[in-house]
Amino acid sequence: MTSPPPPDPEPFRAEVREWCRTHVPTGWRDAQTGVSDEEFVSFQKQWFGELREAGYAVPHWPLAWGGGLSVGEQIVLYQELAAHDAPRLVLAFVAIHHAASTLLAAGTDEQRARHLPAILDGEIWVQGFSEPDAGSDLASLRTAARREGDAYVVNGQKLWASGAKYAGWCLLLARTDPGAPKRHGISYFLLDMRSQGVEVRPIRQATGESHFSEIFLNDVEIPATHLIGPENGGWQVAQATLSAERGMTMLELAERLGHAGFTWLLDACRRPNAEGLRPIDDSLVLDRLAGFETEIAGLRAMCRSLAVRHETGHVGPADASVVKLYYSELLQRMTNFGADVAGLAGSTRIIKPMSSGWESGAWVLDFIGSWEWTIPGGTSEIQRTIIAERALQMPRA
Amino acid sequence: MNIDLSPEALEYGGLVKRALESAGGDGLLRTFESEPERRDGVISPVLGELGAWDLDPRGSGDELEAAAALCRAVGYWAVAYPVAERLCRSATLESDGLVVVADVAPAAAIGGSDLRWAAVTLDGRRSLVTACPLVESPRTSAFVARLMLEPLDDDGADDVVLGVLLPCWTLLGMLDRALDLVRAYVLERQQFGQPLAAFQGVQFQLTDAEVERAGLEELAKYALWSVESAQPASLRDALAVRVAAIEAADTVFRVAHQLHGAIGFCDETTLSWISRYSGPLRRLPFGLSETLHQLSNRTRRDGLPGVFSGGQGQ
Repeated sequence: MTSPPPPDPEPFRAEVREWCRTHVPTGWRDAQTGVSDEEFVSFQKQWFGELREAGYAVPHWPLAWGGGLSVGEQIVLYQELAAHDAPRLVLAFVAIHHAASTLLAAGTDEQRARHLPAILDGEIWVQGFSEPDAGSDLASLRTAARREGDAYVVNGQKLWASGAKYAGWCLLLARTDPGAPKRHGISYFLLDMRSQGVEVRPIRQATGESHFSEIFLNDVEIPATHLIGPENGGWQVAQATLSAERGMTMLELAERLGHAGFTWLLDACRRPNAEGLRPIDDSLVLDRLAGFETEIAGLRAMCRSLAVRHETGHVGPADASVVKLYYSELLQRMTNFGADVAGLAGSTRIIKPMSSGWESGAWVLDFIGSWEWTIPGGTSEIQRTIIAERALQMPRA
Repeated sequence: MNIDLSPEALEYGGLVKRALESAGGDGLLRTFESEPERRDGVISPVLGELGAWDLDPRGSGDELEAAAALCRAVGYWAVAYPVAERLCRSATLESDGLVVVADVAPAAAIGGSDLRWAAVTLDGRRSLVTACPLVESPRTSAFVARLMLEPLDDDGADDVVLGVLLPCWTLLGMLDRALDLVRAYVLERQQFGQPLAAFQGVQFQLTDAEVERAGLEELAKYALWSVESAQPASLRDALAVRVAAIEAADTVFRVAHQLHGAIGFCDETTLSWISRYSGPLRRLPFGLSETLHQLSNRTRRDGLPGVFSGGQGQ
């Protein structure tokens, strides 16, 4: 058993509440609906700047780099931001979580000093992991980096890079030793997206959005100083930092689901439908809501416990997979139910405010978006395999 | 009770499938989404040459079975043209097609059509229809238009059953296709040095989807028999098929998307298109909970003889 987090830091809650009251932009949902890319980026950067000024942008970072909030305080912060319906930091997400944790765990002092302050200044990052033939089987990636003097020359193609069109930097996995067993020949690079030979092509999705992109790398030169961790040790760096990191990102998402998503769902259920009936007056609807509330309570407890174990260095080998699987499938069920409750009206107006969370109240889009949780970042099938092999000690298939 | 479609109907369905493939196959829907006004000009003659518009599904069992097979073939290519709705036109109204509508906020995927439409509610209230112009692109509206209704009479009890049933055959065709697509994908897509299909966890998901689809197919055939043999429970049977169709669609598309991975949500894949245009069939005239509600109300009152009662319905 891990020890429970300290009781709610009430003075801190009061401080965050007051800050939210004065800083969360009123009417941002309407203002962010149907906006251009430029307006979205500008709004995200401005909001990030406000959070940074208050010390709320990177609460999970070490104090020396601008963070330093305890897990208990982080939970309070995320609860209050969600309860005040604050915009989410969707654009900075990879930078403040994946890039930062990689830099903190495996970066050199120079790399940290170069990038962590820049991230606080709004540097946007994208993850360049998946490839057309390397999805679930990520270790079979074929993008190649060949050492030439003080640089690596990279050729290949990356896929499903969320937000690539906005990004200044990329976390890149590439093969540096084609002869080694596949997990042992991969290196981890920090790639400047403005380098010559980098081309980003947005991919149009079924919803009409282009949330993710392909990245083509054609003789791109990466200075050897931008290698992170040892050459050919990239797989281990990625595994170590990303799975541990997942726990910390989930903390925010769980509180968001509990304090914003569930509230949106209740609102939808209280709204009279075309016949003037409120779904919430139906006992079947109430049963479902009660079920979701119970599951959310479980999720929040799980995330809180994982965050505490993360801080104390006691994360189990499949803990993050358990949380991701639980969250993703709960999110999918909840948004699906939201789409049911919204009825036909919800299916005919297909637009969602930018800068909102995974549960925005535009339930049909939220439901489609929820598939980003059971597919990318390790599909549910991969998470189940990890749990079976690493937690339950089942034989490898 | 023989619920199998006649060999002629099956052959006719195959003919339609091939004709639509020759006319553009998957390209049809892509064209229609960007050029909606071309739908009628392309689909009407292709199906017209095959005698589709001369079919009278209310006239004989043979024609009813042919109509079902036709709808299924149309669903397979997801052509987003109201074929089932045209085929179930009322015998007693001056109109080219019929849609079943909910009591409030009536809507149907007949936007942009120049044909004359009639509507009927489950209780048999009939109206003439004026479809509001599409305000959104087919990409988001999937041709669903709000309908303005001019009430006519309450004599639609004979019209409504086919109006519920035939679109379920269209949806069945979409599920046939989704399963074909996902089966082909997992056989081809290699990860960890083998096709995805070699993983038992993948096989199990696919089999769950196939069981749902196969169950729907049997029920749909049974309901067709129920209509053909003028069973008193035929509307309840049609509603039961609709429940099964929506549930099967949820499972089949969920599995098809999960196993396709992210590419399944991109328009490079046919799945993305089929999935998007399955929406109106699953949500209109009402979704799962209202269909269940309507079915259970009628079942409570009149029972549901079902497949295994030897056809001794109430």
